[in-house]
Amino acid sequence: MKILIIEDEKALSESIAEYLSKQEYHCDVAGNFHDAVDKIEYSDYDCILLDITLPDGDGLKILEQLKADKKTDGVLIISAKNSLDDKIKGLNLGADDYLSKPFHLSEMNARIAAIIRRKNFDGSSIIQFNNLAIDTQSKTVTIENNPVELTKKEYELLLYFVSNKKRLISKEAIAEHLWGNELSSNFDFIYTHIKNLRRKLMDAGDADYIKSVYGMGYKFTGQ
Amino acid sequence: MKLIAKYNRVNIPITIATLLISSIGFYFIIRYVLIHQLDKDLRIEKEEIIHYVKEKGTLPETSNYKDQQIEFYPATNDDFKTKFLTENGLGRQDGETRSYRKLEFSVTVNGNNYKAVVKKSLQETEDIIQMILVIVFSVIVLLLLVLFVANRFLLAKLWKPFNHTLEQLKQFNLSSKNIITLRDTDINEFKELNETALFMTQKVRSDYESLKKFTENASHEIQTPLAIIKNKMELLAQSENLEESQINLIQSINHAASRLSRMNQSLLLLTKIENRQFENKERIHFSYILNRLIDNLEELPATKNIRVIKNIANDFFIEMNEPLAEILISNLLINALKHNYQNGKIEIDLSGNTLTLKNTGPAPKIKTSELFERFKKESTSNESLGLGLSIVKMICDSYGFDVSYNFKEEMHVIKIIFSH
Repeated sequence: MKILIIEDEKALSESIAEYLSKQEYHCDVAGNFHDAVDKIEYSDYDCILLDITLPDGDGLKILEQLKADKKTDGVLIISAKNSLDDKIKGLNLGADDYLSKPFHLSEMNARIAAIIRRKNFDGSSIIQFNNLAIDTQSKTVTIENNPVELTKKEYELLLYFVSNKKRLISKEAIAEHLWGNELSSNFDFIYTHIKNLRRKLMDAGDADYIKSVYGMGYKFTGQ
Repeated sequence: MKLIAKYNRVNIPITIATLLISSIGFYFIIRYVLIHQLDKDLRIEKEEIIHYVKEKGTLPETSNYKDQQIEFYPATNDDFKTKFLTENGLGRQDGETRSYRKLEFSVTVNGNNYKAVVKKSLQETEDIIQMILVIVFSVIVLLLLVLFVANRFLLAKLWKPFNHTLEQLKQFNLSSKNIITLRDTDINEFKELNETALFMTQKVRSDYESLKKFTENASHEIQTPLAIIKNKMELLAQSENLEESQINLIQSINHAASRLSRMNQSLLLLTKIENRQFENKERIHFSYILNRLIDNLEELPATKNIRVIKNIANDFFIEMNEPLAEILISNLLINALKHNYQNGKIEIDLSGNTLTLKNTGPAPKIKTSELFERFKKESTSNESLGLGLSIVKMICDSYGFDVSYNFKEEMHVIKIIFSH
């Protein structure tokens, strides 16, 4: 899987590349508009991370370029402006999703995974993790063919975990993913959700994938 | 005190005093002039008598008319001095007291000395003076009256441009786009006032605009370094074999960065609402959005075992910006959840044009009127920013909705009346 990171802030693109590389993505980084245009012309990417406020050009122009070239690369816009106008404009120009700074790398990763899933949807909508299978089409979860009844939030939580498997995910990132910014300061809420999800997975197939990491958050891991 | 009252307080006594003093002066002058005239008549009479005596060698007949009397008295010496006198005497006919002006002089007829007295009644003079004084006083009263009325109307008219300017300045609102409109005036002072007012409001507005721009840009610029901090910390947290102390450090840094970021976003949102960047309105199905957002949070209340009681009218539509409506509702819902007890309850009622949100929770410790202010927060916990309710208030204000908070029967009650 190839990902292009278009971001003029080097410290940020480095972090993103480091996180994504560990998820077995191959990352290219473009630090300015022209570099980005060159890279897009030269090769195809599964997903492009696009900072629309570049110093030497409007990031939205890249979207137009992609459209003109009839490319089907997935695009996730990252922007310092949490602006609805930009969001609508970007999505209308063919971007797949919009993420405003600052964001959690785990959140970004989950969004990229979702975009790639949609793009590479070749009949199979099943994500397999050990004995766990998630059908993203029907939004159902089974463990060794035993259905697991999850609430909407528990399903979202599981998908988030699986997208960021083997990585440490902070409670804050989870809270923000499930309920948006406003409630992310209140972690009491997620504790119950995780407890319930864990119990349901255990009941269905003795799959204790969710590990709590002292003081930090949670990790979804097979071991 | 009104300017006109202050002006009158000085002006009216001075006017009255001046008029009174000049009336008194007028009285004396007229009196002097009239008596002078009388004396002249008396002197003519004297000349006539002397002339008569010289010609005829006898005294003329004494006469006793109402307005003029001539009398002769024998006198011992002939160097009797001519003198004018004013005296009060009894009238001959009616016995009334009358004032007379008399002239005494000596005449010599055939070696006999006589004192001649010519008297003229002052009645007429006094009548004239009286008449004149009546006229003068009437004029004073009339003048004062006219001045008073004229001042009232004239001043009201004169001050009109000033009052208009004042009204415009009162209505001046930094956050609204409309500029103050001042009427043309030919009064220099007001012209100057208008020019200054216009200049100042424009200056204030442009300063405010650039400050707003600066705030917005600064807030945006802050997001990128914040993103770097948060992402680096996230990477750091991924490392294996972290010590407990390191974990605590990462946690605190993360926490602070998140708070800063949330605060920044909330302030940015407030600025955007203030700047009216959510101008575009549409007819939105408010009931539907409310239900959707409640459902979206549905699993949250369960974690605290909070009961949610809904009573939402189906068909409530409103002219509003949809993202703002969502922010409004979720702020209210989250507030009701956050400041709630274990096993508490939330009541959401939408009927007529009123949305009422009630929730159990600890009684407010600060004045309820202050709850809508920025950074006023109930808890001293660092988690709460104290911006949620001010965002609610700001949204309501920008649409002219009436929002109120109460603590009644152990419940926090927030009521929004959607009226334009």
